Amino acid sequence: MRHRKYPFIVGFLIIPIVLYLVLVIWPYLQTFGYSLTDWSGASQTMHFVGLRNYTQLFGDSVFRTALLHNLLLLVLLPIATILLSLFFAFMLNVGGRGGTGGVQGVRGAGFYKVIFFFPQVLSVAILSVLFQAVYRTDQGGLLNGVLVKLGLENANHPWQWLADPNLALWCVMGVLVWSGVGFYLVLFSAAMQSIPKDIYEAALLDGAKRTQTFFTITLPLLWETVQTAWVYLAIAAMDAFALVSTMTQGAYYGGGPNYHSEVMSTYLMRNFITFGKAGYACAMGVVIFFITLILSVVSLRVTRRERIEY
Amino acid sequence: MTTNADLTTEVPAPRDHPAPARKPAREQRFADGGGVLNVFSHGFLALWAVMIIGPLVWIVLGSFKTDAQIGGSAWAWPAHWGFSAFSYAWHQGIAHYFANTLIVLVGSVTLTMLLGSMAAYVLARYAFPGNRIIYFFFVAGAMFPVYLALVPLFFMVKNLGQISPLLGLNSYLGLILVYVAYSLPFTVFFMYSFFRSLPTAVHEAAMIDGCSHTRAFFQVMVPMAKSGLISVGIFNVLGQWNQYLLPVTLMQQQHGGDPDHSVLTQGLINLAQQSGYASNFPALFAGMTIAMLPVLVVYLSFQRQVQAGLTSATLK
Amino acid sequence: MGSATEYNRRDIFKRAAALTVMAAAGGPLVAACAASGGSGSGGSAPTTGSADNPFGVKSSDPLDVVIFDGGYGADYAKPIEDIYKRSYAGSTISQLATQDISGKLQPRFNAGNPPDVIDDSGAQQMKIDVLQKAGQLTDLTVLLDAPYRDDPSKKIRDVLLPGTIDQGTIAGKMYSLNYVYTVYGLWYSNKLFTEKGWTPPKTWDDFVSLSATIKQAGIAPFCHQGKYPYYANFMIMGMIAKQGGPDLVARIDALDPAAWDDPAVLAGISAFYEIMQKDYLLPGTNGMTHTESQTAWCQGKAAFIPCGSWLENEMIKITPADFDMAFLPFPVLAGAKMPQNAVQAGAGEPFVVPTKARNQAGGLEFLRVMLTKEASGKFASTANSLTVLKDGVDPSVPLKPGTKSSAAAVTAAGAATFNYTYRDLQTAYDLALQNATNELVNSRMTPQQWVAAGKAATSSKV
Repeated sequence: MRHRKYPFIVGFLIIPIVLYLVLVIWPYLQTFGYSLTDWSGASQTMHFVGLRNYTQLFGDSVFRTALLHNLLLLVLLPIATILLSLFFAFMLNVGGRGGTGGVQGVRGAGFYKVIFFFPQVLSVAILSVLFQAVYRTDQGGLLNGVLVKLGLENANHPWQWLADPNLALWCVMGVLVWSGVGFYLVLFSAAMQSIPKDIYEAALLDGAKRTQTFFTITLPLLWETVQTAWVYLAIAAMDAFALVSTMTQGAYYGGGPNYHSEVMSTYLMRNFITFGKAGYACAMGVVIFFITLILSVVSLRVTRRERIEY
Repeated sequence: MTTNADLTTEVPAPRDHPAPARKPAREQRFADGGGVLNVFSHGFLALWAVMIIGPLVWIVLGSFKTDAQIGGSAWAWPAHWGFSAFSYAWHQGIAHYFANTLIVLVGSVTLTMLLGSMAAYVLARYAFPGNRIIYFFFVAGAMFPVYLALVPLFFMVKNLGQISPLLGLNSYLGLILVYVAYSLPFTVFFMYSFFRSLPTAVHEAAMIDGCSHTRAFFQVMVPMAKSGLISVGIFNVLGQWNQYLLPVTLMQQQHGGDPDHSVLTQGLINLAQQSGYASNFPALFAGMTIAMLPVLVVYLSFQRQVQAGLTSATLK
Repeated sequence: MGSATEYNRRDIFKRAAALTVMAAAGGPLVAACAASGGSGSGGSAPTTGSADNPFGVKSSDPLDVVIFDGGYGADYAKPIEDIYKRSYAGSTISQLATQDISGKLQPRFNAGNPPDVIDDSGAQQMKIDVLQKAGQLTDLTVLLDAPYRDDPSKKIRDVLLPGTIDQGTIAGKMYSLNYVYTVYGLWYSNKLFTEKGWTPPKTWDDFVSLSATIKQAGIAPFCHQGKYPYYANFMIMGMIAKQGGPDLVARIDALDPAAWDDPAVLAGISAFYEIMQKDYLLPGTNGMTHTESQTAWCQGKAAFIPCGSWLENEMIKITPADFDMAFLPFPVLAGAKMPQNAVQAGAGEPFVVPTKARNQAGGLEFLRVMLTKEASGKFASTANSLTVLKDGVDPSVPLKPGTKSSAAAVTAAGAATFNYTYRDLQTAYDLALQNATNELVNSRMTPQQWVAAGKAATSSKV
């Protein structure tokens, strides 16, 4: 090459790397440091306590509950969101009755695609207010109101949604699915449209049913996109802070009733801010980091497939 | 993709044109087993649409209700169609928060895309020692929960403020740089695979023509990567638009006289808290409506580009 | 760092502080502290000053004030600032009104650059006990010993309502000034009761039999702010206190596990549990927010609701004009150790002065200005609430029916007032009790299990 390569490489990388080091890596490293102290979060005085925070953490039953909930979300949130958005994407792209080309979306597909994406642009502050009304526990709630009208529940004992220990976590997951489906629908739609129509038409001519084409053609060809979606949903599932802390019962960052919707981020924040156990909270953060890291590596390995060329 | 661009770019009017030149034989064959499925799936699609439009309409309606109606039942219907709640919310500075958010996002998304694609490009197209390490170093950042870094980050930004107040706490530029840094993992990850998928021939031709590496990037590669840039840019806009923890930590007035640079999420949450304390729920709903409608309008106007951008992103 | 949309509030009224805890746990310790006199090593303010200016305020030093902009708004701070500026001509005050106290101040405390005086309240309050442990709070003893501005022959400590100092005291020293006087009890619509010919109950038996009548009339006898179980706890703990006496209150505050074995505890909770057994709850109330349940109550869907005296101001826009809000002390059981008319009342809304404040003298003076008739009266008229200043409100200030009714109850109670400090001081314990109550109101826990949970919670310390 005529031009010198290295000055160029350095020139292009230096600013992003410095920015990333200074604003991302260094603060995280400091968190590791804080996790070895009894820092209260309210002043800069602290003492080195070694691994005490970590040993304490392993005996903390609330943390274990929270971890379990995150793992539940981690498995179920991607499954629910991906299945639903794949179904929608399939309906909207190839699920319609044969038209000119034989393969197209159902009627109104364009309309649905636009509408379904809406929740994605809502601020999480809006989601929280909205879904507290949806899950309101008397018959003034958006859901309970409908159910009472339809005669599906007793107005004197309406469903308790977020206040019911068996439902609270699922209610939170419902919001995450509701708001996320549209985005993944558009993502999958995009991927589906890159699949040549001929493949479907060939399959249909061979006598395949539409549902069959989904499993034999669409899903395998979409695998890589599904994997990407999975990673993003998993990251969302590890957080869930804003919704749990604002919608669920329980003082200081929610998580109730009685820890039934506790997630690690809410428990971490409660320790950090409310209980003044910032060092302990940092140790929690470090553990969360390693769990996320391990899960990401494992899931990327497990789901790795040969890319299908077409 | 071009053959059915019409599907993605349909404006929100139900697609209802009769299919011309339909071949009855194929139609019949294609529909086999589809009847039940069709009813079910149409019903489900319509239900889901209602489940999205309903709540949005409900938020707008809330702006016209009274506190007693909002507290009494979510099903209350507005009695008076006045706009006082809007003017209150407006005077609470929703427009100002909106402007702050725009200022930050314009800067942060532009810079994120520029720096992110520069790094991704070099990592994707040039072999040099340490390449893989730097790549993984960037990508690993996506796995950290942001709240872990908040306090040290606060001090870092505060110290940057010692260098120049333009970079410090409660400054646009400070928050922009933080957004950029925290968006880099995602951006590098996606632009990396995008640049790898671009054909090498054009770039080589440009180099043979005597282009410098930098010019080759800006004049040849960036235009080729336009669709990828757009789609990753959209991801970034959505992600940064909804940030709460970072601005609430870094974009806080420190003293009474400081300018209020709060972004929209902060402003809305302040309104929500205010209404919880002092019962002004119509203003909260009006604020949410003011915050929501422009975004919906922008999205409706640009949804073709959004969907086309996402489409091209997956067409590697 | 703040949370997201925690607009639940009401932790708002979490008074900070106080620590009689140590009192029961280690009497000698407290005695030792008290004997050493108010001014400890770290954290006491400079005391150079004249009678007019006891803390040595310099007009040239800017004053940095942070006000919690919650149920009382922030407007009441303006008159206080005006008085301050009048006394110290040329001084400048920067006031920041916010709901997110910890979001704005946690970093500043860490950076050693806190404001000079803070109204540290609300859902995002920085916990007073946490700040105190970190050595961030000024010992306010100097304030207590400073002259009262309206009558310099008196000291500040002489013009505070009883309990105010205790409420802000940790390990024998006062670190926070709780400015608002709050009364807790049951609330009802006098108009509704008069119309129906119902007599407000005094004893628990009356309460239960009246509830049966109310239910027959098609109204739910009781509702509560179920999403935030500490409202129900006001009532539960209030009934337990009346049954067991002040002694039991102190032992419960002190995390004494044996206190939970006192029969008064089981008696109180078992009585409360009858509400669930007899299905007297407003349907859905166990999951409702304060706004939802209080609105339902204002609209006549339920007869009684437990709350503090901020209720009237909070619901002012929603309450019908002829509602005639009235206050009722928590009912007593047979054999109660406190009189029927005893009320749960105490100081709330903590103000603190950080140790590292640049203008500490100004911060202390700001508190002294707050404790004047002028400032207190302005507060009463803008926020519909009383302050801890004795006779702080001129009789000419018109009070709303609910405030009038609760003020009358306080007068009737005389010395028979009590308050718990654990809510401010023992965050983890409080949280465990809230969780247990939430289980109980949903009938997922029996009174016996509730007592066991409370006993177990005594080991949860932060």
